[in-house]
Amino acid sequence: MLTFIVRRVLIGIGILFVSSLIMYVLVDFTIDPLEDLRLSTDPSKDLQIEQRIELLNLNDPVLLRYLWWLGAFVTGDLGTAWTTGRDVADILAAAIVSTVQLVTAATVLAIFLGIAVGIVSALRQYTTFDYLITFLSFLLYSLPSFWIAVLLKQWGAIGYNDFLRDPVIAIPVILGIALVMGLVWSLAFGGDVRRRLTVGASAAGVTIAVLLYIQLTDWWSQPNIGPVLLAVSSLAIALGVTTLSSGLRNRRALYTSLTVAVLGIALWYPMQFGFYYLGAWGVMNWATALGLGVLAALVGAGVGLLFRGPDWRISARTGALTAVPVATLIFIDRVMQVWDDYMASNIIRGRPIATIGDRTPNLEGDFWVTTLDQYTHLLLPTISLMLLSFAGYTRYARGSMLEVMNQDYIRTARAKGLTERTVVMRHGFRNSLIPMATIVPIDIITLIGGAIITENIFNRPGMGQMFLRHLDENDIEPVMAYLIIVAFLAIVANIVADLIYAVLDPRIRVNA
Amino acid sequence: MKIRRITAVAATLAASALVLSACDTPDTSSTDSGLDTGTAVTVGWNQGFYEYNEDSATGNATANANIRYLMNDYVNYYDGDLNLVPNESFASYQVTSEDPLTVEYTFTDDASWSDGTPVDATDMLLSWVALSGHFNTAEFVQSFDDEGNVVWLYPEDSENAGEEVPQEEIENNVFFNFTSGNIGLIEETPTISEDGKTITFVYSQPFADWEDNLDVGVPAHVVAMHALDIEDPQEAKDAFVDAVVNNDAEALAPISDFWNNGFAFGDTLPEDESLYLSSGPYIMTDFVRDQYVTLEAREDYTGDHQPQIETITVRYSEDPMAQVQALENGELDLISPQASADTLQALEALGGDFDVITDDAAVYEHVDLMFTNDGPFDPATYDGDEETALAVRQAFLKLIPRQDIVDRIISPLNPEANVRSSYTAIPGSPNYDQIVGANGMDELFPLELDREGAAQLLEDAGVETPIQVRVLTAAENVRRQEQLALITESVQQDGLFEIIDESSGEWGSLLADPSGYDASMFGWQSTSTAVSESAANFETGGGNNFGDFRDERVDELYDELAVTTDAARQAEILAEVETILVEQGFGVTLYQHPGVHGFNARLQGVDPISISPTIFWNFWEWETDLTGDEDGEDAES
Repeated sequence: MLTFIVRRVLIGIGILFVSSLIMYVLVDFTIDPLEDLRLSTDPSKDLQIEQRIELLNLNDPVLLRYLWWLGAFVTGDLGTAWTTGRDVADILAAAIVSTVQLVTAATVLAIFLGIAVGIVSALRQYTTFDYLITFLSFLLYSLPSFWIAVLLKQWGAIGYNDFLRDPVIAIPVILGIALVMGLVWSLAFGGDVRRRLTVGASAAGVTIAVLLYIQLTDWWSQPNIGPVLLAVSSLAIALGVTTLSSGLRNRRALYTSLTVAVLGIALWYPMQFGFYYLGAWGVMNWATALGLGVLAALVGAGVGLLFRGPDWRISARTGALTAVPVATLIFIDRVMQVWDDYMASNIIRGRPIATIGDRTPNLEGDFWVTTLDQYTHLLLPTISLMLLSFAGYTRYARGSMLEVMNQDYIRTARAKGLTERTVVMRHGFRNSLIPMATIVPIDIITLIGGAIITENIFNRPGMGQMFLRHLDENDIEPVMAYLIIVAFLAIVANIVADLIYAVLDPRIRVNA
Repeated sequence: MKIRRITAVAATLAASALVLSACDTPDTSSTDSGLDTGTAVTVGWNQGFYEYNEDSATGNATANANIRYLMNDYVNYYDGDLNLVPNESFASYQVTSEDPLTVEYTFTDDASWSDGTPVDATDMLLSWVALSGHFNTAEFVQSFDDEGNVVWLYPEDSENAGEEVPQEEIENNVFFNFTSGNIGLIEETPTISEDGKTITFVYSQPFADWEDNLDVGVPAHVVAMHALDIEDPQEAKDAFVDAVVNNDAEALAPISDFWNNGFAFGDTLPEDESLYLSSGPYIMTDFVRDQYVTLEAREDYTGDHQPQIETITVRYSEDPMAQVQALENGELDLISPQASADTLQALEALGGDFDVITDDAAVYEHVDLMFTNDGPFDPATYDGDEETALAVRQAFLKLIPRQDIVDRIISPLNPEANVRSSYTAIPGSPNYDQIVGANGMDELFPLELDREGAAQLLEDAGVETPIQVRVLTAAENVRRQEQLALITESVQQDGLFEIIDESSGEWGSLLADPSGYDASMFGWQSTSTAVSESAANFETGGGNNFGDFRDERVDELYDELAVTTDAARQAEILAEVETILVEQGFGVTLYQHPGVHGFNARLQGVDPISISPTIFWNFWEWETDLTGDEDGEDAES
């Protein structure tokens, strides 16, 4: 194992050096730092060109400049952007934060939804649902991201904001949506005609109920979760998580998750005060929020532990898995409470969903307002990134699940009388994740470097934007820093993917 | 039993939390979230502000200049008809002597920086010290010694070429990193009056564009306070003036360093407020790099440009379609996107709540011919026969479909677009009509094309047709490729010429080598109405005279123009220069690039001009009711 890692790391460093040389020469060949001066009408143009050449050592051969750059780079000096006089390290620090913000939610959501839909699609192979998902994923996969972005802005931002002025959905539209939802759910569940009809009808019924509730309570203008919705959703989460995690027959697990849900509902009111005091003490920030999330998971696991029993691990896991979404709901509820103020602010002017930037200028507010503002700015770029990678994950998950479900050990599992849930979740699903472990790290890296178009169209000051701008301005050092980081991450991602594979799948030996 | 116990624990926990929290009731009502309720106008621009010093080598960008224009008063500015208007409430100036040209600037008593320090002669002195380049000491060459350490050597043209520079001299190296040749024309150190309000500059030679030359840049007291570590502003100014008078490199070195680098912004507004002082209507109150900069009207501003809008936010937004959608979504109120048919169409589709203005931008398109590259326009090709080469040039230019290009490519973007018929004057500027009336471009190269005349010229000259012409233009630029297609179609129609397409993505650097092409087509950007700006294009050996055009009379006229300060005579000279350029077949001008601006109809008074600061020039005339939320508005009406 160790020799493998050392060997891979050494090869990686070698690749990095060679690629840095190639990239430096290519970038230098592409850019023209004198571009803006060539057509200058300033009388001192010649002097300025001379100064520029002096500044950038343009009279020296490119290999010599590469060595100077490399020498500085390996000693920790990432260089300076000559166009603005700014340290590349500072530029990168700001850009990376923005990009990570953008890709985190998009990646997590895409992986979660993509895998879920892909697996359901695999379990319903060659049904209408499967074909529908296949069609949809190929459609999304082939859409250019700039086009998705423009459409999302037109409907998701401008259209939705217009809708918010008078948020009423006509009854026929509600019925139509309910019909579509009922159809999708009945197809996803499958089974005989009776089961399909039941599922479809209940899905449609729930949709109508939810939409009517939204309509009648003026939820569009004052979106909130509140204690009632929180109670309903928490209990639903508890049931759902238990079903997937251990099955409803495992009573201890069920009681754990239900206890956690009830605990969450009971804590909703005190948490309002908790958030208030955290804010008053000035410690309400993302670190605290994440800490509270971890605390919730620990409490959930603790509840499972208290139920003891021989399979306390399963109860603890179920408890933790329930606690996190319930805690998230409480958090979201708190964020939604500032919606009214946010909408009414005359900077927002009643149009909350943004199309450009990563924050609303001059919006001064506490943690919750800032969080809501970040959300309204992240929403569209996240969806646009998500749609693209979602499509890919669906295909991967479907393929690998089909592969796994045809294995002998699945037949064996079924033969020994395990429930279908256990077969699918424990034997099928887990094994189908192994190939995903090689795809996900590489995908995340590509996203960090490659959200160029999305960042540009949504004006998010991330890595892609930074790369594009400096390339355009003929500024080689920030461009090189970007390329080196992306190359470095790609190499690391490959090594990590190999290692994960070896850890997950005992048939693979890295030392071979 | 166990389960019941757990439930009990949970209930106790929840209950105790309830009890604990009941100690004090938090106020979660709507006033609590700390939202700001003031608002105003948001402008989209395609680059974010990043440096306060708009004169340094790094800060020299319109993104910075626009913000500075909103923040500061200047001695003069361009109005809607491109006249240079003095800002009397800030400073007055006059020529006190024609020979030598002496200009005196006097700052008013009201002119002051937002920290209370008056704006005075010292601030202008700093501009001159920095931009003239006269105080820059020798530049050194970076090298490495045997151990690989960085050392600095004297440059090749110095006495001690190749020798190592002593440490002391490196530390006292004065280097202001941007130099303006025009300001360098003032060689003598200016004199400052007793009260420090008046500064007198003496030009070492008469200079036509003196009025558009000097202005106030960054505050001198801030530079001196930081560079020389002095606390008192006046003391700092005095120390700076002393350093200049005594040419004290030891003091000027840190000053130049601070001038070059001290005003660059980081990710947010600098903590040191003196790094973004304002001398004009607005003051910067917020800044997030690559996102936005917020300016608020100064209450203590007493000058003439009293603004009517409280807050102007300039947001960074680059993609034209993103700008249009942000305008529609209310995130931007005024945009100036890159003009294209798509952008204009999208803007016009927005409906009655938004206004669109199409006009001329600062860049003009033109075709130039090469005179000494052994090509078809070079007399050397015809054994030095000037007449034949001239005939070929004129015939070629007679066939360039200028009106057709404007009608088919530019009019869809700017319905009022016209063919530009002057090499030196911007359409709509004070000299334009006079020059076009005199230069004869439209007579010799008529808009309706003179096919017979062209054929006749070539026949009389006895050259073999078709003549091959290599044309260099931007390969990736769709509009230029369309123009080239129209030109090709027109000049090849009668078999007189044959166009060889030399379009390249590297056209900018290829321009400098005319051996590779015979005619070029690209745009020149006008940055001011300065009359001497065009000299570099047409003078013998001028930096932008790629075609190597030579005419003694033109050189004489430019020499005269450079020292002519009388506006009427300036126009006459330029008219004569252009007449020669037309007769000699230098090339033709095509059109002014179109500009497109879109804005919320609730913003009034927007009236862009073609040169910087384009949309911003009359910001004090802007009016809007975009100051309250929808409810507030109803309450008012």
